[in-house]
Amino acid sequence: MTSISTNGFYDRSVSSLASLRARAETLQTQISTTNRLAQASDDPVAARQLRALADEEVMAKAHSANAGLVDADLSLASDALTQLTNLTIRAQELATQSANGTLNDDQRKSNGNELAQIHDSMVAILNSKSSTGQPLFAGTSDGPAFTVAADGSASYTGAGQPAEIDVGHGISVAGSLTGAAVVNMTVDGNPTDLLTVVHNLATSLQSGGPTAASDASSALKALGQGLTTLSTGQAVIAARQGRVELANTIEQTRSDMRASEKTRIGATDTTQAIAQLQEVMTVLEASQASFTKLSGLSLFNYLD
Amino acid sequence: MSIAKSGANAARLALDVTAQNIANAGTDGYVRRSVTMDEVVSSTSPYSTLSDYSLAGVRVGAVVRNADVFRTAEVRRTSADLSRANTELGALSSVEGALEQSGISDALSAFQSALQSLKADPTNPALRATVMENARTLADSFNAASSNLTTAQASLYADASSGVSQINQLASDLTKLNTRLLRSADGSSDQANLLDQRDKVLQSMSQLAGVSVSIGDHGVASVAIDGVSLVSATGATALAASVSADGSLAFAVGGNPVAINAGSLAGGNLGLIQLNAAKTRLDAVAGSIIGAVNTAQAAGVALNGSAGQPLFGGSTAADIQLVATDGSAIATAPTGSAADSRNPANLTAMIAALDGSGAAAGFDQLMTDVSSAVASRGITRDSLATIANGANAALAGQAGVSLDDEAANLLRFQQAFQASGRVMQVAKDLFDTLLSIR
Repeated sequence: MTSISTNGFYDRSVSSLASLRARAETLQTQISTTNRLAQASDDPVAARQLRALADEEVMAKAHSANAGLVDADLSLASDALTQLTNLTIRAQELATQSANGTLNDDQRKSNGNELAQIHDSMVAILNSKSSTGQPLFAGTSDGPAFTVAADGSASYTGAGQPAEIDVGHGISVAGSLTGAAVVNMTVDGNPTDLLTVVHNLATSLQSGGPTAASDASSALKALGQGLTTLSTGQAVIAARQGRVELANTIEQTRSDMRASEKTRIGATDTTQAIAQLQEVMTVLEASQASFTKLSGLSLFNYLD
Repeated sequence: MSIAKSGANAARLALDVTAQNIANAGTDGYVRRSVTMDEVVSSTSPYSTLSDYSLAGVRVGAVVRNADVFRTAEVRRTSADLSRANTELGALSSVEGALEQSGISDALSAFQSALQSLKADPTNPALRATVMENARTLADSFNAASSNLTTAQASLYADASSGVSQINQLASDLTKLNTRLLRSADGSSDQANLLDQRDKVLQSMSQLAGVSVSIGDHGVASVAIDGVSLVSATGATALAASVSADGSLAFAVGGNPVAINAGSLAGGNLGLIQLNAAKTRLDAVAGSIIGAVNTAQAAGVALNGSAGQPLFGGSTAADIQLVATDGSAIATAPTGSAADSRNPANLTAMIAALDGSGAAAGFDQLMTDVSSAVASRGITRDSLATIANGANAALAGQAGVSLDDEAANLLRFQQAFQASGRVMQVAKDLFDTLLSIR
């Protein structure tokens, strides 16, 4: 015969009540923190996925900040190229006028003065700063992209290629072009650049003389070439903006995915948890009631 | 009359035993007693004509201690396993806590993301400062994890050494109990009490270390660990623990090395082995970060154009620290670049080296391994607890006191006592009848 030992009865009752209580408290914590996992060992696989998602999210923040910077720089570069294009078109007009034999020296001189102004504006635009305050067209150098010599001619003093910046999802984009890529060109097999062409024309017109008109007409071809180079630069920038946009679009989708994954893996299913809590509470109350009843049940109560 | 007297005495003693059972219903280690009654047969019958009439009453045979040796041994074995699993789980949980709460994972992500941001504008002092602060946080979190692990390790060593001294204390208690058991009479309540104490000591010893117990004559217990005698009929040998070169514990009884496979000492040792492994792996992760960053630093130039100096000092999780004092020390540009260069080629190389070093993946794997171990040990612990509870219930069903049974016994023996009294009354009436004949 085995009988139920009194001590054993109390021990068992206490341990089963305690385990129900612990279960209820776990559910309560899950509901109030909205986190299903209190520590990694609650579900090691899910915890690992959550760590990977958190890591990706931190990196995504850095990448979207980078994408914002690159995008701002590309817009600045694009604006600069548009202005350069407008100035070059004006320089073309002036060259066309000056090539006309009917113009007198004074008129050419005035055109030359305007071209000198255009040259200065072009240098200023090419030396403009990026959104972070660094020279936009100087590659990796921190000095100005173009330096103006004593005779008024400008030369490229930047160095290297602008840095390719990660904007996430394996895409890296440079935020700008080098000054050299913007202005350098080859006319009739001879390397030259837009600034030199404009500067030389301005000097020639300002000094006047018999060669001024022919200089102006020969500069027309170089200026046309300069416009082509600028529009090539615009195309490159537009393509880069497209890649930044692509990275942003991918990131948008990924971040939606991350949010839903995080909820799916790590968040408490509140409805389910509350239902479970209710169930546990019901069982706990029933156990407490039955424990009180059973513990009051003793043969000694009937002895007198 | 003498028959009635012996009956009353026996019932009285049975009532005493019942009362003792009731009083000790909640006593730890108490085993339910019961009495056996023997019929007393007198060889010299007063009734010479009836050869069969040899009635002389009843006597108490023995006070029986209702403990089953097998079930007691089962309880010892299962509780030794359970306490090993509990201790190991506790140690592993503290390893998990040390790694998780130090926030290494987040700090590493933040550091990598700060480097990534710096790439967009390598000369920006604010971004450089952010990288430095994140590097400092990373070093601090490694230090915190390492010191948490060291604390956990120290407390495991302390637990083990107190466990060893407890075992030695219990062994000397058991030796004394053995001596007293030899002197006590078989079937006496004194012996039953000593046996209770003996089982209690053996139970405590089993929870500390998985001991094998053999019970000899007079209930004298001999205890051995891993085949080496700890307590014999003649005396106790001391158990000693020492820390091995690999940081685990080595046990020896009287100089003979023994392996402890159950009990909290075994669990603590298993926990220490896991803890040391985690510590080594954490050091490797810290070392690979230090190596990747400092090597990349050496291949580049700082903001002022000077050769890159190490960012991190130390070589393990415990001593990793930020040695560079200023954000300008970060070597973003490759060797040969001028001061204030915006060329991030070396930073790109550093990010790639950090990725390639497998530090993040290594830590993630470590975390996953430890948390999986905690989860699976938790399940093992729960099933061992169920087994131990079952063994306990089986023993309690036999050895535990049930107050309902005792109440019934109380009534039974009370009635037996009253009946014997009645018999005395009848005998007295018979005498009176005989005496009143005149």
